[in-house]
Amino acid sequence: MATAEATPSPALDLPQLTDEDLARSWDRSRVQHARRHGKRWHLLWLLVGPGILAMLGENDGPSMIAYAADGAQYGLGFFVPLIPVLFAMAFVCQEMCMRVGAVTHRGYGELVLQRYGKVWGWFGAGDLTLTNLVTLVAEFVSIRVGLAYFHLGAPVAVALGLVLVLFTLSGGRYWRWERIVLGLALFNGLFLAAAILVKPDLGAVASSLAFSPFPGGSFNTLLLLLASTIGATVTPWMIFFQQSASADKGMTPSDLKHGRYDTALGAVLASVFGLGALIAGAALLTHSGAGIQGFAPNAGFPQALKHVAGGLVGTLFALGLVEAGAVAILTISASTAYAAGECVGVSHSFNTSPRNAAVFYAANVGVALLAAVVILIPGAPLLSIALNANVLATVLLPVSLVFMVMLANDKGLMGRWANRRSTNRIGVSVIAFVGLCGAAYGVDSFLRVTHLIGS
Amino acid sequence: MEHVEEGNGIREQDLQREERFEDELIMHLERDQFVAETSRPVPRAHLSATARAGLWALRVFVVLVSLMVIYTFFDQLH
Repeated sequence: MATAEATPSPALDLPQLTDEDLARSWDRSRVQHARRHGKRWHLLWLLVGPGILAMLGENDGPSMIAYAADGAQYGLGFFVPLIPVLFAMAFVCQEMCMRVGAVTHRGYGELVLQRYGKVWGWFGAGDLTLTNLVTLVAEFVSIRVGLAYFHLGAPVAVALGLVLVLFTLSGGRYWRWERIVLGLALFNGLFLAAAILVKPDLGAVASSLAFSPFPGGSFNTLLLLLASTIGATVTPWMIFFQQSASADKGMTPSDLKHGRYDTALGAVLASVFGLGALIAGAALLTHSGAGIQGFAPNAGFPQALKHVAGGLVGTLFALGLVEAGAVAILTISASTAYAAGECVGVSHSFNTSPRNAAVFYAANVGVALLAAVVILIPGAPLLSIALNANVLATVLLPVSLVFMVMLANDKGLMGRWANRRSTNRIGVSVIAFVGLCGAAYGVDSFLRVTHLIGS
Repeated sequence: MEHVEEGNGIREQDLQREERFEDELIMHLERDQFVAETSRPVPRAHLSATARAGLWALRVFVVLVSLMVIYTFFDQLH
């Protein structure tokens, strides 16, 4: 908790050591060596990870489809500047998670459970499990859609996702897991390459920065895309993941500056790559675009882009969807595993062997396996699941955010690293905005399907 | 006999070196980063009645909107 910075423990008064302690202290020794010797870039290299992974992990299959659908439906306009604004919003939330993790060395799930009671802890874990399961199904669908472009079927998508989960878990070290997923996450840049290849009108991109033209057409479709675009930038799993990963990485208050760089870099990269997907999708606007049907089983967006902008763009977009789904499967499964271990009160670290952290590893593989099984069910409503994954995350997000702000304000836990008033103002505005958008879509859709208002 | 004693001596040296290495390594962790420390629960916070009511209101609101989204999801399947 909020104690002095990096004070060495007196060797004679050491608590009982575990393999997890040894692995983490080895990582910390490298950080402290780099800091002592003024190796700035090496220090940055050692400390980046959770922020970039949370942000690029959230540039997942449904998110990239949501951005591309924004572009295909409305062209270059309102949503272009909205994406960076939403990632700025995500930065504020994720910085709080990183800070609480680095100061308390504990995950979000266990802090909520211990500090505010089991009811709230288990509610949070329940929300997370539900949204993660739905989102993971959408991630497998994303891989499936990407692979369908190369004429590969659902079993290949399932095998690829599960092999990746097992491979990244095999090392028994947080550092190894983080570096592999970071390496994969950089391929999110394929969406930017696709955007460049569609040769967008740079003047139109620049003029759209004034949030214009404002989208017209169906109000409910606009709300759906708005809710899923918000759900594409901040979600419950990101909150659980970044706080737990920051603690698992061994970050301390002395690393807060680099934690902010990591989170900001993640937000910038995710924003640029997200804009890439939107701009690529906008190429479909004048060609009776794929719209929100981008998850159609016959490769949806990639296939449509192939016809409009050429085979290379289609290929890049398809590979991008495979990457986005794969990285998200790894990070979302990890967030479920952290939450499970924290709420049950057992070991929950990548630095622990599967034998000593059975719940953590079982939850990690189990949730991915469960989602994989769903996409193999013949006739399962995959398109609807994928489209609603982000919306559900948006609707459930305000509760997670409220507890995040409460933890970051808790002077007993955070000491002098507690939130400033300005951070709270932004945090509360974000919660109100997200709550309003989620509720607007939920209520409007419900009233329409029950015919209480005209559709 | 000499070989056995020599062997024991080397093994002991190795063990001591390993312990020293672990001690040095452990010095890089903050005290409250140790698993033994993080396993201890943090004390329960006191929430005012207003805060508790606000949290329950938010929870009910979120559940209601989620049910609406889920209902819409199933309705659109038909």
